[in-house]
Amino acid sequence: MMTKAADKIGTGTLYLAALCLLGVGPAMAAPDIPPDFDAGGEKIYQSYNATPPDYMAADSGNRNLMGFYELRQYPGSPPRIPHAVAQSFSDQPDNCLSCHAKGGYNAELDSFVPVTPHPENELCYQCHVPQRRQELLVETNWQSIKPPPLGRSFLAGAPPPIPHSLQLRDNCMACHTGAGAVTELRVEHAARGNCRQCHVPVISTEPRLEYVRTP
Amino acid sequence: MKFNRRSFIKGAATSSAIAAASAIFPGISFADWTKQEGASGMITWKKAPCRFCGTGCGVLIGVSGDRAVAVKGDPNCSVNKGLCCVKGYHSVQALYGKDRLTKAQVRRNGAMVEVPIKEALDIIAARMKETIARHGKDAVAMYGSGQWTIPDGYVASKLFKGCLGTNNLEANARLCMASAVTGFMTSFGLDEPMGCYEDIDHANVFVTWGNNMAEMHPVLFSRMLANRKRRNNVEIIDLATRTTRTSQAADKAILFRPQTDLAVANAICYEIIHNKWVNQDFLNNHVSFHKGKTNIGYGTEDHFAFTDTEEAISFADYQKFLEDYTPEKVEKISGVSARDIKYLASLYGDPTKKVTSFWCMGMNQHTRGTWIQNLVYNIHLLTGKISTPGNSPFSLTGQPSACGTVREVGTLTHALPHGVVTNDHDREMAAKIWEVPVSNIDPKPTYHTVEMFRALDRGDIKFMWIQVTNPMVTMPNLNRYRNGVLKDDRFIVVSEVYPTPTTDIADVILPAAMWVEQEGMFGNSERRTQHFARIVPPPGEAMSDTWQLIEVARRLGFEKQFPWSEDEHIGKIWEEYRRFHEGPKHNMAPYTVLLERPGVMWPFVDGKETRWRFNPKHDPACTNGKDFDFYGKKDNKAWIWARPYEPAAEAPDAEYNFWLNTGRVIEHFHTGSMTRRIPILHQAMPSSYVELNPEDAADLGVVNGEMVKIISRRGAVTMPASINGRGVPPRGMVFVPFFDDSYLINEVTLDAFCPISKQPDYKKCAVRLEKA
Ligand code: SF4
Repeated sequence: MMTKAADKIGTGTLYLAALCLLGVGPAMAAPDIPPDFDAGGEKIYQSYNATPPDYMAADSGNRNLMGFYELRQYPGSPPRIPHAVAQSFSDQPDNCLSCHAKGGYNAELDSFVPVTPHPENELCYQCHVPQRRQELLVETNWQSIKPPPLGRSFLAGAPPPIPHSLQLRDNCMACHTGAGAVTELRVEHAARGNCRQCHVPVISTEPRLEYVRTP
Repeated sequence: MKFNRRSFIKGAATSSAIAAASAIFPGISFADWTKQEGASGMITWKKAPCRFCGTGCGVLIGVSGDRAVAVKGDPNCSVNKGLCCVKGYHSVQALYGKDRLTKAQVRRNGAMVEVPIKEALDIIAARMKETIARHGKDAVAMYGSGQWTIPDGYVASKLFKGCLGTNNLEANARLCMASAVTGFMTSFGLDEPMGCYEDIDHANVFVTWGNNMAEMHPVLFSRMLANRKRRNNVEIIDLATRTTRTSQAADKAILFRPQTDLAVANAICYEIIHNKWVNQDFLNNHVSFHKGKTNIGYGTEDHFAFTDTEEAISFADYQKFLEDYTPEKVEKISGVSARDIKYLASLYGDPTKKVTSFWCMGMNQHTRGTWIQNLVYNIHLLTGKISTPGNSPFSLTGQPSACGTVREVGTLTHALPHGVVTNDHDREMAAKIWEVPVSNIDPKPTYHTVEMFRALDRGDIKFMWIQVTNPMVTMPNLNRYRNGVLKDDRFIVVSEVYPTPTTDIADVILPAAMWVEQEGMFGNSERRTQHFARIVPPPGEAMSDTWQLIEVARRLGFEKQFPWSEDEHIGKIWEEYRRFHEGPKHNMAPYTVLLERPGVMWPFVDGKETRWRFNPKHDPACTNGKDFDFYGKKDNKAWIWARPYEPAAEAPDAEYNFWLNTGRVIEHFHTGSMTRRIPILHQAMPSSYVELNPEDAADLGVVNGEMVKIISRRGAVTMPASINGRGVPPRGMVFVPFFDDSYLINEVTLDAFCPISKQPDYKKCAVRLEKA
């Protein structure tokens, strides 16, 4: 069981007060503006503020693209959980998020932890499951498309567009910076912060729309 | 003897192990899937409702060539706003298991042989004609599903009730939703929730009544969690018989002894009245009081019959009735402390709090299922917390179209697309729309599901056509019903997508198109109708269930009633069906609107969806000029029922000393025939188990993974123990997920049912345990 509601409100208020003192409280959107407008654009800034520059710049070489896709069933599918998770029914948000909200080094697995781009979704097991057996019940004819190629700029030297949808993957900092990031997907210049100043979404697996003027 | 599929599965498992091992060996493949050859790498996205649970998430299916290759949540769908669960994200993989049925098969000299599908349809029609000629129309039956599309159910109803003239039409939703329906009908006179999922964004208190939403309705549950996090004035109370993921995430988890939710609900009402938390204004204007029969039985014997009688009572009578349910008395019955009961009552009673109650199988699969629905409605009616945003007694569904196809189309023995067969006016309406003589429609219901399988066992029914369901895994007291179908002169047709224990007993197997391989509609828990187009072609000769029924109907001489072309039939069927629901109480959206939106809620009136029924601010059917109009009942009131606590059909005793509870897990949908063919889901949850309380396991001397034999008066199953696993039952209870057909737990369960709804109770029977 989690905390009693009363306790929670108490700590919540304290936490909020602390954040306000530090000047990094969540921006107050006007009443009828949803908190996640502009494809959750605010998250990038919050995450940028919260990540120490040293961590942002770090590269561990721990994860590569092959391992990244081995956990997936198609480009964009929720990855399975690649490490053992407690056999006990462990859905307290802290269990996953205590590591995957912030990242850092995990001594037990001797590796740097990938950061989730959507920590606001606490019911982790809703989408991510471990593998308890490798055999299938019946073979499958499943196929999907090839993973999209990386670094496709439209002009030589131009910043590449964002090749994936921003749905649930709207926090660039989470996956593209830090020691837990996939080496091939890391950016060297995360310190610039305003990612979508240069990178715009052009989903590489969706048909491209050409501008045609209709007079 | 019909052939045994187990050996085949064993063989398949060994060879797939080798294939799977090579697939994960690093260096051989760059990613964990086979790459499409010659594909452009481009995906187009098409909308559909998820194939699996009754939440009804909108998904976008990524198509490359003629294959479905990816899924994402549909951000335009208000149900899930772009989020899915692990089943939804991998749902399209269910289309591609290697053993998909692609050809029709018929049994010849004991063995199944492949035939062209046209020949199989001829055989079915001939057999139906012959059976009706020799044994009468009530010797043929159809058993369908809450996973049927709406057109599937509609043409089945038209063929069986309108053309053949038999009410032998049932669907597996009898096993999952019947008590929800009778609950709504007895309390409000109209089926389906008054509220909608938007209630989640307004409520301050959520009470989950025997409802492990974290696993069974995960997308709605995570919406609750997100609200709790964002709003700071939200709490979740889990009221259950076993500790689950939902209990863990809840602010407070309360355990009650099986069946005693009846007493707990009455005690909450007692407290609300006792503390003067009653919303007197609401009560005076909108509520009337009633009682029915008591000691109503359990239906375990053949030909069991029950009809309730209603009697009006006064508020004083009701108050007197509740005196048996003081918190202190109920503490003794339920094991819930008087303090916790008072706490629950104070949440419901607090006028500043909006309260939503959620339930699903815990209250539906209950030998007093109708009663417990009535009792939870009582709580909401005493406090007036109903039909306004956030105040919602909310009955969830388990299947994607239990509401859409079974409840709205009325594919149950007593029902019609509008109303019931016993009502002259309803029969006349059906006969008119169907263009059949009204005398065709039999005014007498025949068999509900359990009794239908009993009739098959007895030989009263000789022919049964089963579509989109797997009763040879899911019927309670399964041994009896399997022995029944295997008797010599029974003829079983099964329309399926994969081999299952039900196709094992079939005389004809029809390969079915699945989900987005055909056009259709589902209807989810919140009165939302969701259309999907034919997005990919079905494999081989696989044919939609709708079209199979049309083909057979035409062979039986009903071309006039089934005239549509293959291109247009779904739109035409929808527009015909829609006529049954005309009017502000149930109007359905036109076909053209369904095509465009990721689901539309009914009543759909003047281009607007109705989010809160019975509330004139939202519901144009309200006409009484008051703040609510419960127009379902003739007295324009919602009904409070005095319903007592009565014990379960079978409770633990000296010999059979444990409760057996059964259910689902997040990874698998129902019997697993689809989800077990999805690699990630099978790998995450490869086989079933029996959950034991750690103390009981210690007494029995078993550790995790050791085999335990579960024995009831009806059968026994031996399976591995799970201790402190996904869930933890209290002492004296075991829990078994039913998705795994190598452990047929329904050979152990009891076929007792709610006498009013005829829905069996899969949550309670008595077993003993042995270390195996
Ligand atoms: S919650 Fe239900 S409808 Fe939604 S994705 Fe999961 S299985 Fe599908």
